[in-house]
Amino acid sequence: MDVEGQRPMVSWENSTLAPVDRLRCERADSPTPGLVEGTEPGAVHQSAMFVHTQSFEDLTAEAEEAQREAELDQTDECTQELKALVVGEKTIEEQHNNSDISSESRAKEEDVSSEAWRSHRKHVFVLSEAGKPIYTRYGTEEALSSTMGVMMALVSFVEAEKNIIRSIQADGCKVVFLTKSPLVLVGVSRTCQSDKELLRELQYIYYQIVSLLTLTQLNHIFQHKQNYDLRRLLAGSEYLTDNLLLRLDRDPGLLLSAVTCLPLASSARDVVSSSLQTAKAKNLVFSILLAGDRLVTLVRKKDQYLHHIDLHLVFNLVGSSSSFREGEGWTPICLPKFNTAGFFHAHISYLEPASELCLILVSTDREDFFNMSDCKQRFVERLSKRSAYQAMKEALKCPSYSVEQVGIPELRHFLYKSKSSGLYTSPEFPHLYQSDEEQERLMGLYQDLHSHLHHPTRPLRSFYRCSQTENLLAWVTSGFELYLCFSPLGTKALAVSAVNKLLKWIRKEEDRLFILSPLTY
Amino acid sequence: MLMISPRMASGMQEKQYTPSLLSFFIYNPTFGPREGEEEKKILFYHPSDVEKNEKIRNVGLCEAIVQFTRTFCPTKPAKSLHTQKNRQFFFEPEDNFWIVMVVRNPMVEKPNKDGKPPTIEYQEDEILDTVYGAVVRQCYSMYKLFNGTFGRAMEAGGVDLLTQKLEKFFYRYLQTLHLQSCDLLDVFGGISFFPLDKMTYLKIQSFVNRVEESLSLIKYTAFLYNDQLIWSGLEQDDMRILYKYLTTSLFPRHSEPELAGRDSPLRPEVAGNLLHYGRFLTGPTNLKDPEAKFRFPKIFVSAEDGYEELHLIVYKAMSAAACFMISASVELTRDFCEQLDALVGPQLTLLASDICEQFTINRRISGPEKEPQFKFIYFNHMNLAEKSTIHMRKTASVCLTSVHPDLMKILGDINCDFARVDEDEEIIVKAMTDYWVVGKKSDQRELYVILNQKNANLIEVNEEVKRLCATQFNNIFFLD
Amino acid sequence: MSEEHYLELSENPVQFEHASSVNNVFFDEANKQVFAVRSGGATGVVVKGPDDKSSVAFRMDDKGEVKCIKFSIGNKILAVQRTSKSVDFINFIPDYPHTEFTQECKTKNASVLGFCWTNWNEIVFITDQGIEFYQVFPDKRSLKLLKSQSINVNWYQYCPETAVILLSTTVQGNVLQPFTFRNGTMSKMSKFEIELPVVPKPAKLSLSERDIAMATIYGQLYVMYLKHHSRTANSPSAEVVLYHLPREGTCKKSHVLKLNTTGKFALNVVDNLVVVHHQSSQTSLIFDIKLKDPDCAVNTHQPVLPARSIHPYRIPLSGPAVVPSQPPVPCQLSSKSHIKQVSIWTKTAQISKLLYADAVWSGWFPGYLWYLQVKLPPTVNLLQDKGKLMDFLLRRRDCKMVILSVCSQILDGGDKGSLPVVATVFDKLNQVYKEYLEAEQTYTAAMESGASRGSAAQKRPIRTQAVIDQSDMYTHVLSAFTERKGVSHKFTIAVLMEYIRSLNQFQITVQHYLYELVIKTLVAHNLFYMLHQFLQYHVLSDSKPLACLLLSLESTYPPAHQLSLDMLKRLSTANDEIVEVLLSKQQVLGALRFIRSVGGHDNVSARKFLDAALQTGDQMLFYTVFRSFQQRNQRLRGSPAFNPGEHCEEHVVHFKQLFGEQALMKPSTV
Repeated sequence: MDVEGQRPMVSWENSTLAPVDRLRCERADSPTPGLVEGTEPGAVHQSAMFVHTQSFEDLTAEAEEAQREAELDQTDECTQELKALVVGEKTIEEQHNNSDISSESRAKEEDVSSEAWRSHRKHVFVLSEAGKPIYTRYGTEEALSSTMGVMMALVSFVEAEKNIIRSIQADGCKVVFLTKSPLVLVGVSRTCQSDKELLRELQYIYYQIVSLLTLTQLNHIFQHKQNYDLRRLLAGSEYLTDNLLLRLDRDPGLLLSAVTCLPLASSARDVVSSSLQTAKAKNLVFSILLAGDRLVTLVRKKDQYLHHIDLHLVFNLVGSSSSFREGEGWTPICLPKFNTAGFFHAHISYLEPASELCLILVSTDREDFFNMSDCKQRFVERLSKRSAYQAMKEALKCPSYSVEQVGIPELRHFLYKSKSSGLYTSPEFPHLYQSDEEQERLMGLYQDLHSHLHHPTRPLRSFYRCSQTENLLAWVTSGFELYLCFSPLGTKALAVSAVNKLLKWIRKEEDRLFILSPLTY
Repeated sequence: MLMISPRMASGMQEKQYTPSLLSFFIYNPTFGPREGEEEKKILFYHPSDVEKNEKIRNVGLCEAIVQFTRTFCPTKPAKSLHTQKNRQFFFEPEDNFWIVMVVRNPMVEKPNKDGKPPTIEYQEDEILDTVYGAVVRQCYSMYKLFNGTFGRAMEAGGVDLLTQKLEKFFYRYLQTLHLQSCDLLDVFGGISFFPLDKMTYLKIQSFVNRVEESLSLIKYTAFLYNDQLIWSGLEQDDMRILYKYLTTSLFPRHSEPELAGRDSPLRPEVAGNLLHYGRFLTGPTNLKDPEAKFRFPKIFVSAEDGYEELHLIVYKAMSAAACFMISASVELTRDFCEQLDALVGPQLTLLASDICEQFTINRRISGPEKEPQFKFIYFNHMNLAEKSTIHMRKTASVCLTSVHPDLMKILGDINCDFARVDEDEEIIVKAMTDYWVVGKKSDQRELYVILNQKNANLIEVNEEVKRLCATQFNNIFFLD
Repeated sequence: MSEEHYLELSENPVQFEHASSVNNVFFDEANKQVFAVRSGGATGVVVKGPDDKSSVAFRMDDKGEVKCIKFSIGNKILAVQRTSKSVDFINFIPDYPHTEFTQECKTKNASVLGFCWTNWNEIVFITDQGIEFYQVFPDKRSLKLLKSQSINVNWYQYCPETAVILLSTTVQGNVLQPFTFRNGTMSKMSKFEIELPVVPKPAKLSLSERDIAMATIYGQLYVMYLKHHSRTANSPSAEVVLYHLPREGTCKKSHVLKLNTTGKFALNVVDNLVVVHHQSSQTSLIFDIKLKDPDCAVNTHQPVLPARSIHPYRIPLSGPAVVPSQPPVPCQLSSKSHIKQVSIWTKTAQISKLLYADAVWSGWFPGYLWYLQVKLPPTVNLLQDKGKLMDFLLRRRDCKMVILSVCSQILDGGDKGSLPVVATVFDKLNQVYKEYLEAEQTYTAAMESGASRGSAAQKRPIRTQAVIDQSDMYTHVLSAFTERKGVSHKFTIAVLMEYIRSLNQFQITVQHYLYELVIKTLVAHNLFYMLHQFLQYHVLSDSKPLACLLLSLESTYPPAHQLSLDMLKRLSTANDEIVEVLLSKQQVLGALRFIRSVGGHDNVSARKFLDAALQTGDQMLFYTVFRSFQQRNQRLRGSPAFNPGEHCEEHVVHFKQLFGEQALMKPSTV
C-alpha cells in the first residue's frame, strides 16, 4: 500500500494536540488531487483552530490512556468538580424543565414488546458493566433492564473467551456493541450504515455522557459502587443524548468530523474575530461565536486546540435548550477530547434576545462567571460600534446558499470538507429534500459513501454510484473530501466536469464560506 | 493454512495467517430442552475432540445470540456474529436445525524482540459475511443432494441415523472446504455454460432425446463439455448443486486419464463402429470384469411431492460428459450398463469431437486471445450463468484468482451494496492502488470489471466498460 | 384387403361400340383416340378421345376394309390405310376441299406396315423396306416426300411425345434402329442391340414386337424389353430390361426390373412407375427406377411393393351399358382374344402394346377404356421402411396428403416410429423442400440480375406436391400432434426439436410459429428451465412476435421478461418496443437511459415519459424526468420551456404544485 493508502488510517496520535506545522504552498486556483494538504479551498492561512483530523478514526483512538495518569492527582479536584457538577446539573435540570418536554415523553412511554418499538430505525442503549440500564433512546430503562442484562451477558460471555464481541448481523438489522469501561453501549439499527458508522455514533454518545460527568468521575463512581444506578446522576440530561442522536442523523458535520461556517465576507468576519480576540481574560481558553449550528468565528488560547467532537458537544448543549436565551448561562462542561478528567466552565449567552448569535466563552475557572460576563460586554460594545455587526446580522438572514448558485443544473447537493481547517461547506437542502425523511435518506447516502471511502482496510480514492434516485460521486484527496449528489439522469462525463467547476466555484467563494484566518488571544 | 504475506514489515518478518475453520457444528435446541440435557442438542461437532462442556457452551452462545436477535427482529434470524478473533455464521435450513460455522479472522503475527511472545493482530474486516454465509448454505445443499433433508433422516431412523449421516458426510466434506480461497463466486454459486453454435447444440439435443427414448429408465439427463454445462434436464437449483459437485469434486478426481483425448478431434472411421472413448465416472470402472462390484451414488432432487431419489450415472467420453439420472427404486444391472455403454459410447465420442471441432473453429474466428486491459466476473441470477476471466480453472483444491485479494473483496463489497436494493445500479470505484473497479447491475444480471488503467478517468473507464459489453455481452440487454 | 389395392382404374372410362363383324375398332396412341368404324365407314365413324368433347363422328365411303386410321395432330387431316401400298387422306380443315386424296409408298413393291403422324401435316410411312417422311399439303391435296431411308423392317413402334420411331431390323429383329422427327427433319439415332436370352440357330425373328415398349420415365426415353425366362439361359424368372435412349449418344442398358416370376406380363408406366401386370396371378407389380435398394446390385430393382391385384371396378350403370347392372368385376388378364387393339391407357398416356396385344378384361364386355392409376394410401402400410416409403412417395404426383398422413402416423401412439425414424423422414422432406427453395432463390436472383441484362431465359421452378413446407407440417401434423393427449411431453418436444434440427441442418430459416409451438408446449408442461436453455443457445431464433409471446409469459415465468428484452435488443430494430416494455414496468429512468444510450433522447416525446413518471406517483422521479426534459429544451432551443406542441402544460402545472415556481429551471443566459 502506498502513502495515500495509509493516510485515512492514521489515528490521531499522528496529529496530537500540538499544532501540525504544514507546508505553505501557492493556493492553486483549481485544486487537483495532487494538491498539497493545507492549500485546498478553505484551508487556513495560519494553523487551524481545531485538533486537526483526517477522519473519524480518531474517535476510536484510545485518548483515555493519556488522561489516566493525570487522574490520581486530580481526584480531590474531581470531588470539588462533583459539587460543581451538582450546581451545573441543577441548571441543566431547570433548562430541561422549560425545554420542550415532548421529545422526552414521546420517547419514554412505549411498550417495549410492541412492533412499533421494535421497528424504530435506530435504538441506542447505554448500560453499566454490571448490566444496569443507563440510557435507552426509546422506551423506559426499567422496562428494558432484562434486555440490557442479556446484552451484558453476551458481552461478558465473549470476553470470558479472551475475545471481544463486535456485532450481530441479521437481515436488515444489526446490533453493534461498544465497551467503554465502565460503560457498555449498544446500537440496534435497521439502517444500512456500516458497523464503523454506528460505532462512531456510539462514541459520540459515550463522549456526551463523559462531557457531563468526566471519565474520572465515571470510573470513580463505579469503582466505589459496582452496580450504581447512573441515571440518578444523569436524570434530566437524556434530552441532550436524544438531540445528539438526531444531529447524528441530520448534521453532516458530525459525519465529516468538521463544522460549517456562517457565510460572511472575510472582512466582516475578521472584525468580529479581532473583537473577540481583544475581549480576553486570564482563564479564557476558547471564545466561540455561533449562529445557530454555524460557526461565525472561534478564538483560542495559543497552543490550545478544540477538537471538533468537543465543539459538536458544545453545539449540542447550546442547541438543545432554549433556556440560555433568558440570560447568561454558566455551566460546567467536560470536553472529553481535550481532557476527560476535568471540567471547563462555559458562559453561554445570546448577543440579542431574538438573535441567533450565541457566544460561548470557555474558562478553566469555575469562579469565573463574572469575568466571562465582562468579556462578553466588552465584545458586544466593541462590535456594535463596527459596521461588521450589521453585515453579520445581514448574513444571518441567509445563513446558507442554494446549490443553483454553482450553476450546474444536474447538481442537487454536495458536501465539501477542507481537511486542514476541519471546516466544511454545503448548500441548503434543495426542494426535493425538504422533508426530514428525504434529508435523512440523503444523509444516509452520504454516510454510505463516507464509509466506503474510509473503509478500515480497503479505503478508496473515489466512489461513483448511479442508482434509481440519485447519482452520487465521492472523492477524497490529501487535501479535501467531496461528496456530490446528482440527478439520476446525470452522466459520468457531467460528474467529472461538475467536480472541476464546483472546486473552482468554492475557491472563488472560499473567504465567504470558510474561516481562513483564525485568531488566538 | 499458513502463507507468507505480500507485505513485509521492515526488519523482522511478520507472519500472515489466512482465515481458517475453527469449528463447525449442527444442533437442534428442541432435542435437549431440560437442564443437563444440553449435549443432546448437538448433532454434529467439528472438531470432535473438543471438550464436552465447551461444545455445550458454544452452542449455548449461539442459542443466546439467536434468541436475543429475535427481540429486535422476530422474523429475520441472526446470520452472523462478529467478534475480534472470529466470525460465526448461523443458518437454519430446516425448522430448529441450526448449522454454525466459526471462522477465525485472518491475523498477523508480529514477532517481538527479546523473546516476548509474538503479538497477534486480528484483521477483523477481511472476511465477507456474504461469502461465508454462502459457504454454509452450500454445505447444507451438498448434504441434501446426497442424503436428503435432515427431516428425512429423522423419519427414517431418528436422531441416531441423522447423526450417523452427518458424521459420515461432513467428516469428509469439511476437509474439502478451502476457506482462504472463497470469494464472490461462492456467493453466486453459478453455472458456467459452454458456448456453442445452434446446430451442434441441436445435435446434442437429439442425442439426449434419443438416449432417453431408447433407455426409457433414464429420467433426467445433463450434458457437459470441458466442465461447462450445455444441457440440463434437472431443475435449476438441483443442477446448480450437482454442477458444483461435478466440477469441484468428481471431474477433478478423474481429470488425468482423458487429458490425452481432450481437444484432439478424432472421428471413428465408420459411423457406429465400436471404437469409442466412453467410460463410467461413477459405477463400474471396468465393464470387462464381470466379478467387479459397482454401485452408483444416489442423489436427491426436488420433485412435485417433495424430493425424489435417483441413481447418478456419469459417463464421459473425451471432454464430453453425460449425466443420466434414474429412479433409485430400480436395480441397475451390469447388462444395463453394457447396454448404455454400447449405445452412448460411440455417439458421445462422435459428439465430443464434433463439439471440439466447432469450438476450435469458433476460437479461430474470434481470433487469438490477447491479454485484455480488464478482467471481469459476470453472473445472471435468472439462469445462474456465470463467467469469470479472473479465476483460473476452479479445482477441488483451490481456485486461483489472477487479481489481488483486496480487489476481490472490493467486488464483494459492491455485491453487498447491490444486494440491498433490487433496482438497477452502477458503481465505479478507484482503489488506493489506483485500480478501477466497476460493478453493473441490470435486471437480474451483475457484471464486475477490474481495470488496470491507473491513469484513466471516470469517463474513459466508462468507455472501456461499454466496449467490453459490446464485445462480450452484445447479445443481452444491459442497461447503460 | 381392398385397401391394399394400390392400382385402380379411372372413374369414368371411355365407352365405345365394341368390335364386331360390322364394327372395327382402332386406337391411336398419339391422340388417344378410339375409332369405331362401322361397315368401312359407310355407316359412320365414331371417334372418342380421353374427354367427351374431343369425340368426333362422320361418314366416309366404304373403299374396302380399313387397316389403320388416325387423325393428324389437332384433328386437321385424317389418314386411312386400306391397302398395303397406299394411304388415303381426308381434309378436316373447314372450307378445304373435302374429297379424298391418296399417296402411294415410293419404294417399289414394298408394303406399308403402318404410318404415324409426327405433326399436323407431317406423316411417316413405315414399310417393310424402310421409312418415308412426307409433308402433306391439304389445299393442294398432295404430299411431298421430305426424306426416306431404306432399311429392312420387321416391325416398328412409335413414341408420340418424343416423336421417336423404333424399327426392328436384322433377321433376329433384335437390332433396333430409332429415328427422331422434329419439324420437317428426320434424324437417325444410333442403333442398338437387345441381347437375347438365347440366340436361335438357325437365325429367325426372335424379338417380338410385343416384348418391346417405349416410355418416358422421369423425363427420359426408355426402351423396355420384357425378357422372358428360359431354361437354357440361367434366368430363373422374367425381368424387364430398360435401355436408356438419350437424344444424343448411344443407347445403354440402364435398369433391370426383377419380376421374380414367369408367365405372361403386361407393362404400363404410371406416374413414372413401371407397372407390370402378371396374367396368371392377376396381380401387378410396380417398380421405381429411382428407388435404390441397397441389398441389390446397382440398377437392379425389386418391386417396390408386394404384388397386388388391381382394385375391382364397378361398371357405371349410367351410359349405354349393354347389360343393365353388373357386379363389381375383378380386373384380370385373360388370354382369350376377342378383339384386336383394345387397350388400357395410362395417365402418362404410355400405351403398352404388350398388354393390349392380346389382353382383354374377361368378364367384361368390350367397349370400355380406362386410365390406370396408382393409389398411394395403401402403399403406406405395405412399405414398412419409412425412409424408403418417403423416397417413394416424394416422387409421386398426388403425394402431399399421403406424406402428411404418414408424418402424423409415425408420431401417433399406435405404431409410432422411434426418433431416428422421425428424424430421417423429416430430413427427406426438408431435402426436397430445400432444393425447391434454392431453385426459387436462383430463379429470383436470375430474374433480378436478368431484368437488368435483359436475359430472362430461366423459367420458374414448378412447385410439386412433394414440397412440404413448414406451414404444411404445422397445420396438418405438428399443431394437432402437440395437442394430442396421452403423448409423453418428452416425445412431443423431442419431435419438435428434431424438426427444427432438420430444418437448421438444411439451412432453412425456421418460421416463428414453430417456435411458438415449442414454447407453448414447454409452458403447458411448466418446463420453463428447458425453454430458458433453448433461448440461451438461440435455438429459438429472435423475432418480434416471439419476444412478445415471451413478454406475455412474464406473469407465469418472470425471467421471460429478461429473455424478451434480450431478444428485442438483439433484433436491434426494436428500440421503441424496448422503451414501451420498460415504461410498462414503470422503469422510466431505465427507458430514458436506454434511449440516451442509443442516441434517441433528443427526439422522444416528453409527454410520454412525463405521463409514465406521473403514473408511478413517485414525486422525485417526476421531478427528475421533468428537469431532464427542461434541460433538453434548453439545449435544443435555448429555453427550458416546453413547446405548445408537446402538450406538457398539465405537467408543468403539476410540477409547480409539487415543488413550487422556483423549482422550475431558469433560462440560463450563457
